Amino acid sequence: MIYVIVGIAVLIVVWLISEYNFFVTAKARIKAAVQEIGNQLKRQADLIPNLESSVKGYLKHEKGILQMLSDARKLVAAGKDASKQISEVLPKLQIVIESNPELKADNVVGKLMDELRDTSDKVMYARRLMIDLTADYNVKRVSVPSNIIANLFNFEELKGLETPTEGAHLKVSSEEMKSHKVNL
Amino acid sequence: MVNVYEAVEANKFKSTAIIVLFSIFVAVAVFFISQAFAIYQGYEPGGLGIVGIALIVSGVMSMGGYYFSDSIILGISGARPANKKKDFNFFTVSENLAIGAGIPMPKLFVIEDSAPNAFATGRDPKHAVVVATTGLLEKLTRTELEGVVAHEFSHIKNYDIRLMSIVAVLVGMIALLGDWLIRSTWYGGRRSNDNDDNKGAGIIMLIGIIFAILSPIVAQLIQLAVSRRREFLADASSVGMTRQPAGLISALKKISDDQEPLEAANKATAHLYIVNPFKEGEKRTVGWFAGLFNTHPPVAERLKALQKMV
Repeated sequence: MIYVIVGIAVLIVVWLISEYNFFVTAKARIKAAVQEIGNQLKRQADLIPNLESSVKGYLKHEKGILQMLSDARKLVAAGKDASKQISEVLPKLQIVIESNPELKADNVVGKLMDELRDTSDKVMYARRLMIDLTADYNVKRVSVPSNIIANLFNFEELKGLETPTEGAHLKVSSEEMKSHKVNL
Repeated sequence: MVNVYEAVEANKFKSTAIIVLFSIFVAVAVFFISQAFAIYQGYEPGGLGIVGIALIVSGVMSMGGYYFSDSIILGISGARPANKKKDFNFFTVSENLAIGAGIPMPKLFVIEDSAPNAFATGRDPKHAVVVATTGLLEKLTRTELEGVVAHEFSHIKNYDIRLMSIVAVLVGMIALLGDWLIRSTWYGGRRSNDNDDNKGAGIIMLIGIIFAILSPIVAQLIQLAVSRRREFLADASSVGMTRQPAGLISALKKISDDQEPLEAANKATAHLYIVNPFKEGEKRTVGWFAGLFNTHPPVAERLKALQKMV
């Protein structure tokens, strides 16, 4: 009989400890998830100017070739000798075409779009993790029997991802209504 | 309309129920077969030594595959590690889902095969491997690929590879036990003191032999039921991660419409793929009986379950 009582007591203590540990770990994980969101937002901020400048540089290079080509075309149209210009631009053009059979410019722009989509996905998933963890924590906090532990140790409800419902960012100024010019 | 949480919970419950059923069946089958063994050999009923031997043999046979599953993948001809430049979508989608699921990034591999398919393996999230075919990466859009990779991540997160390995060890053990009992009655001479045994021993002997014949098949059928249930669970958890049932729905349609069989697949890993790699039984199979022998539920049923979540 005494063994049964001791056994039950041990089980209760083990359960108590594991529940308590769940709440503490969940809180620590939620904190880490918040940091992860900040981490991904920083990645996004770092990436965009970086990508834009690299794409810009690439297009400038191709624009130069296009400029040479159109100069050559103009000379031909005007009935002047353009062989010098053409012999200059053709090898360059060949190199560009050989290294990239398909339209390289479109590809680079496409890559930029891919990276941009990926980085916003990463922010979204970092937020998802935080939302999921908080939801698990809050559900456990109010459901029987773990709510006993939550009340005993005062584990408060966590708000999760907050979306501000007021503030300047919710208003649209006339300046923002204008469509953006993307500088490539 | 089912919300994702309910779908995941319901699937977890059903899957647990099947596993409990499986455990009970294993216990009963092992009990009767070992009792029959004991009576046949003339021991006192209750000797479980033979069960221990069967468990060890079956365990050694299956555990190698379980423990080394992540390195065995490297042996598949043409598997190469995925890199960000070549497999941009596959790589980044996996990165993102690892963030979302809160698991370490698994190792990613690509098999050169035009049949679209994917699978996950590895004994725990730290040793997980996700493999996709080049066909899959070429034919699916990013959103569809996200659904497929999330399905594989669910297998990892739910410890399905560990579960299926344990189930496989138990099925193997029962098959060995049954085999040994039947073989020993076949070759061994009957004991002379058999006639002195009471009626109860005879009945247990009979039940034991019936179990020895039937239980390997029954155990395998339950194993397949577990596998099918885990597929439903992985589908539901996939939607839980991406919140985009439409992506997985159109991916499943594309994969199952493709009639090309996957060359790298074998029977041991078939249950890990997102869609049965042998492409048998999806369209040709008629009736529930043939369905009992599939590792995967019919795609139509999976689509129906997913459509409820849209």
